[in-house]
Amino acid sequence: MESHSVPVPVLLVGTGFIAAQHAAAIHAEPRLELAGVVDVDPERAAAASRANGGVPAFADLAAALAGTGAGGCVVCTPNDTHADIAVQVAEAGAHLLIEKPLATGVAGARRAVEAFAAAGRVLMPAHSHRYYDYARTVRDVLRSGELGTVDLVRLSILGGWIWPDWRGWMLDPVRSGGHALHNGVHLLDLVTWWTGDTPESVYARGRRQTAAELGVHDYLEMTVSFGGGATAVCEMSRGHRPASLARRDVMVAGTGGILTLPWDGEAGTVTDEAGTALLPPGGADGFAAQIGAWADAVTGGPPAVTGADGLLAVAMGVAAERSIATGVPVRIADVLKEAP
Amino acid sequence: MRALRVLPWGSGGFGTQDHQHDMYLPAFREHAGFTVVESGLPDLTRAVRETGAEVVSVCAPPAERAARVIEALRAGCHVLADKPLALDVAEIEAIAAAAAEAGRVCMPAHHHRFGAAVQAAAGALAAGRVGLPWNVQADFLVDGGDPCPEGELANFGLYPVDVVRALTGQAVRRVHALRAGGRGAITVLLLGHEHGLTSTITVGRLRGTADAPGMALHRYRVSGSGGVMDVDAARPGASVRTVTGNRAAWHGPGTVGRMLTALHTAVVTGRPPEAGPADALAALRVTDAAARSLALGTPVPIDSPEV
Repeated sequence: MESHSVPVPVLLVGTGFIAAQHAAAIHAEPRLELAGVVDVDPERAAAASRANGGVPAFADLAAALAGTGAGGCVVCTPNDTHADIAVQVAEAGAHLLIEKPLATGVAGARRAVEAFAAAGRVLMPAHSHRYYDYARTVRDVLRSGELGTVDLVRLSILGGWIWPDWRGWMLDPVRSGGHALHNGVHLLDLVTWWTGDTPESVYARGRRQTAAELGVHDYLEMTVSFGGGATAVCEMSRGHRPASLARRDVMVAGTGGILTLPWDGEAGTVTDEAGTALLPPGGADGFAAQIGAWADAVTGGPPAVTGADGLLAVAMGVAAERSIATGVPVRIADVLKEAP
Repeated sequence: MRALRVLPWGSGGFGTQDHQHDMYLPAFREHAGFTVVESGLPDLTRAVRETGAEVVSVCAPPAERAARVIEALRAGCHVLADKPLALDVAEIEAIAAAAAEAGRVCMPAHHHRFGAAVQAAAGALAAGRVGLPWNVQADFLVDGGDPCPEGELANFGLYPVDVVRALTGQAVRRVHALRAGGRGAITVLLLGHEHGLTSTITVGRLRGTADAPGMALHRYRVSGSGGVMDVDAARPGASVRTVTGNRAAWHGPGTVGRMLTALHTAVVTGRPPEAGPADALAALRVTDAAARSLALGTPVPIDSPEV
């Protein structure tokens, strides 16, 4: 167990879309200190440095680790780089908070988990939704036992904004792993966390709604069957219209009752010439809560999300992609045993 | 409005159900388009002759329902038939043939498709308000009441399946079904329709909350190429919260009353009814395929074209 009276120096690795939220969370966490930024694109690294008080900028992770003595890394690089970077961070003896998915395949995820087990360092996949108010609310209600045994879960996260344009790596199934890996793991991880059950199989359907030429499915429906009997229907969409649509909807039915959290349950709505939208809900900052949980683990506390959780979510995502391709349910155990 | 003489026949259903006395007779008595006539005769054809009935409301037990429906049609009557119209495809095809031969209306009591919210949505969808529909997500979860011995999929699974058909007009081609929960009280239907439309329907019965019985959820979300439509079929309703509990309140015709209006319109105008044997057959094919899928653990196709 480690304890730190001074902040742990942390590298931000990858300075794309989501990095700014992690940087803000690091700045707000007194147990951590941003020690530098890393990006293979030197111009982007320099820009991130300027945006973060002139911290050192690096184009090479090994040089950054050696140059800063960082005790931890927050990795937000494209998904296909995750497994190798994770192993590199583990071998350098640093802790890791890594954007989801942990890897684009089970073999890579397992390599990462094993590397951190060997290094005795913290590996925490950034399943950020676990820290959002809505997810914690559902979890608390389920854990209270009010709903009895969970029979059915519905979780829908629907959006109308597609990734920027054809050059986005998220649209490349080789780089992202497909949408079930890229965003689907959020939902697959959440319903597993909520139910506390073991997922057995996934039946998934996907659409290329925005454009037939998409390499990934911008609409996913992933139905998970759990060992304890519960079923979860998870929808993840970037293909809805209008493009301004943003909805999150939860329903859980159990032997003791039903929970509904409708899309407009968290905040008021505003209707203007652009249509109806939600007002800011004003809840807790999920990224700050996540970085706090990671700081807890880095300083000796139990991890809120484990490498094993990340591996399982990857296996479920792989099963979902495979189910879309084959049209039949795919067993998680079959996916996991392909990379024992 | 011409009042049609309607003869109630039978009061059997799954388990303890008596839709004749609980649903149809009260609605017929309240509706200006119908006059209820009754007979003590044990024979349907003779009872029709005795009463001069023009419509028969058939709630014979499911096993003999098809025979009574056909008998009423051959006696020259229009029919409102409790759901399910019949238990197998051959029976429904025989009913469809009998109705066509007699030139009479045979309406299965798929009353949820006649709900105001559903009908408004169906009209808006048909008018292209959300473009080309590509997905429907539906929940039909009953809160409390008597569990059906035959299972809730067989009991009321056809209702949301029929509503999705009424909303979109797209036949089902593929069915995958999953049980949700160890009690088998909820089923998840994952349907593939014509034109690539997919739908997912949860259907079942909750054990019963403090406000039971009623509908816990009855809703449809339709995603289209141009927008999203939300249909909460539990509306319209005012919410009344008191020290003794919560309830909904609303005036205006309910789903059964609106169904009877549609039946009356079809009878007096000669226009095709808004629901007929083809709709019962379409729903039965889906619930039958769902039962097969549950047994096999894999999706099953529906190959046969609908009548």
